[in-house]
Amino acid sequence: MLETTAPPGKATLTPPLDTRHQVETPEGIDLPLRPAGLMVRAVAFTIDLVFRGLILGLLFMLLALLGQLGIGLGSLLLFAVSWWYMVLFEVLRQGRSPGKQWMGLRVVHDDGTPVGWSASLLRNLLRFVDLMPFGYFLGALSCLQHPAFKRLGDIAAGTLVVYSERPLKRPSLPDAEPRRSPVPLTLIEQRALLAFAERQGELSTARVNELAALLAQPLHISAPKAVGELNGIARGLLGPT
Amino acid sequence: MRLSEATVVIRPRTTWEAMDLGVRMSQQHRRLLMTSWAIVTLPLFGGLSLLLWDSPSLAVFIFWWLKPAYERLPLYILSKALFGETPTLKEALRQWPRLLKPQLLASLTWRRLSFSRSFLMPVVQLEGLGGLARQQRLRVLLQRNAGAAQWLTIIGVHLETALWIGLMVLFYLLLPQQVETDWDWQSLIFAVDHQWRWLEHLTNAFYALILVIWEPIYVACGFSLYLNRRTVLEAWDIELVFRRLRQRLNSSALGLLLVVCLLLPGVLSAWAADPATAPDAPRLLNQPLNSQASHDSIKALLEHPPFKNKETVTRYRFGEDPATVEKTKDSKAPQWLKTLLGWLNGQHLNGLAKAIEVLLWVVVIGAVGWLIWRYRELLQTFVSRRPSLPVRTKRPVPQQAFGLDLSKETLPDDIAARAEQLWQTQPRAALGLLYRALLSHLLHDFNLTLKPADTESEVLARIEHLQRPDLLAYSRHLTGHWQNMAYGHRVPAAHLQQELCDGWRSLFGHGAAR
Repeated sequence: MLETTAPPGKATLTPPLDTRHQVETPEGIDLPLRPAGLMVRAVAFTIDLVFRGLILGLLFMLLALLGQLGIGLGSLLLFAVSWWYMVLFEVLRQGRSPGKQWMGLRVVHDDGTPVGWSASLLRNLLRFVDLMPFGYFLGALSCLQHPAFKRLGDIAAGTLVVYSERPLKRPSLPDAEPRRSPVPLTLIEQRALLAFAERQGELSTARVNELAALLAQPLHISAPKAVGELNGIARGLLGPT
Repeated sequence: MRLSEATVVIRPRTTWEAMDLGVRMSQQHRRLLMTSWAIVTLPLFGGLSLLLWDSPSLAVFIFWWLKPAYERLPLYILSKALFGETPTLKEALRQWPRLLKPQLLASLTWRRLSFSRSFLMPVVQLEGLGGLARQQRLRVLLQRNAGAAQWLTIIGVHLETALWIGLMVLFYLLLPQQVETDWDWQSLIFAVDHQWRWLEHLTNAFYALILVIWEPIYVACGFSLYLNRRTVLEAWDIELVFRRLRQRLNSSALGLLLVVCLLLPGVLSAWAADPATAPDAPRLLNQPLNSQASHDSIKALLEHPPFKNKETVTRYRFGEDPATVEKTKDSKAPQWLKTLLGWLNGQHLNGLAKAIEVLLWVVVIGAVGWLIWRYRELLQTFVSRRPSLPVRTKRPVPQQAFGLDLSKETLPDDIAARAEQLWQTQPRAALGLLYRALLSHLLHDFNLTLKPADTESEVLARIEHLQRPDLLAYSRHLTGHWQNMAYGHRVPAAHLQQELCDGWRSLFGHGAAR
């Protein structure tokens, strides 16, 4: 799904800046991954931190009743939670710890495959490098300067934190008589026409008319009727639903 | 503003992704943004510190308060760079005084503490709106993405603090030991002495340095949020494609063709109304290969390799669905925990603690033991006094050679007599029996080492080593005939029967048949 809005002639000179990270599979399919930047990851991490704090606080309160045994079990628990919380969640839940899931993120390998034990362990053990000397100093700097927003642990483990795909809602198109486009349209143009019909509700009427007027003259339709005609073409592109 | 010259991919994004785009933009012009910011702010910070030498906190507070004034410069650079007109450092710095003019007072006073500062800055600076127009614009912009802009500022505050403290800790870690021992942290924190002023100003300078890194990113993120909001509001991405489509249509000869098409309005309307023009409708119906047939044959072809390689994998699984198992576990856990807790509160508590301790130690000792056992040979080379000789492995006696069974039990009692008997009806079996018996004798009675891969001539070569001329002569004789028989299908002459059987008897005797 290569989608570029740059003019075809210029695209090869300097590719326009995008937040997408293209991964090509051996079958020649382009997988667009969307790496997540520092801000959303910081929020996800905070949620995880609070969640971990709650778990530990609750269990420590329970274990405090048990005296010496409680202290022993508590230190075992502290070890388990601080070292294994992220790893277990990432490997067993498709790369999503609770905070990441909340923010719609997940961890994958650089090539888009699900994260495995070794990569997850490595990236989480290297948190201790990232948080040197205070509060993820190195990790934040690395995250802000890396083109795919990787912290040091991610670079070492070859992992990527990406936005997970959300289920799409079926968009509703305005009612119009299905029509055939009078000219052949490329994929991008077809998409734009569909988007024009789908997003009409969010745009102001003046803007909708302005956009439709752009195509009125080349498609030889009268400007007042242009919106309806374009909606008709979009309906025709969508096909029977 | 020409959207077609934008150097970023314009499409509606989620707010977080829009911020990521801001980070990418600031990365692309990292050097320009950071140098221009440093050139503007660091001298100012130096001046403020010198002026207010006795009150460092006030100096850093004023420096912090003036942030909106410096932020106009990165925004100018980014807005120019968006359309490919990246200014040079000199041009950008020359523009800065002019950028300061519009509504500076407002942005430094009542708008200073706004949480969506970077998101709304472009309205004043790039759109040049003020008063009522600005109010209306803000109302529209803030309908959707206000939360994200506020989050950006909140995250920014925390990040600035974390980076600032980080830099201070780094500074402390890099101090030489001698200097450090002279410092008492408590005296540093509660210092009222003038001799520690420079240290406070130094930590303030760290803040100015952190801003060099962070502020351009903050401005870029706000700018990209603003761009994203306008992309959604005004469908910039659609406009971009429409404009390009229009250009394509107007420049190509298609326009002419279209006019011709439009002269036949009846045809067009018929197309529009006719459901037969849908892509899935049957077409090309008046020829031997119609669309349906070709469709079917393509489908059939696609079902076979190399387009589809089907593979059936059979695996064993537990009968229960893992999800339901987990659920039942979850519901059981509290009850189990309760009983355990009740039990633990009794006298067994310390006993159980001991038991767990013992268990953990057993695990540790067991693990060490297992490691030693696992690497015993490696350890032996370092520890043992006598070098251990490699143990000679005894080669197992082969059970078969050339597909012939060599175990003694399968041979008949009197081999020569049996061979004579077989010769009349099955000469092949008779010769085979003789050869098989010969190999078996060699293997078991003469202790000849035969490998499964040996050929007949290799066996003969081994017999030579036994230094038994009679055995060698007989073996050669028999092997030759056997090879003729086995591979050449040449039946030996009748007189050979007696010769071979007699030879056998003279070599191994009657009794030694087995």
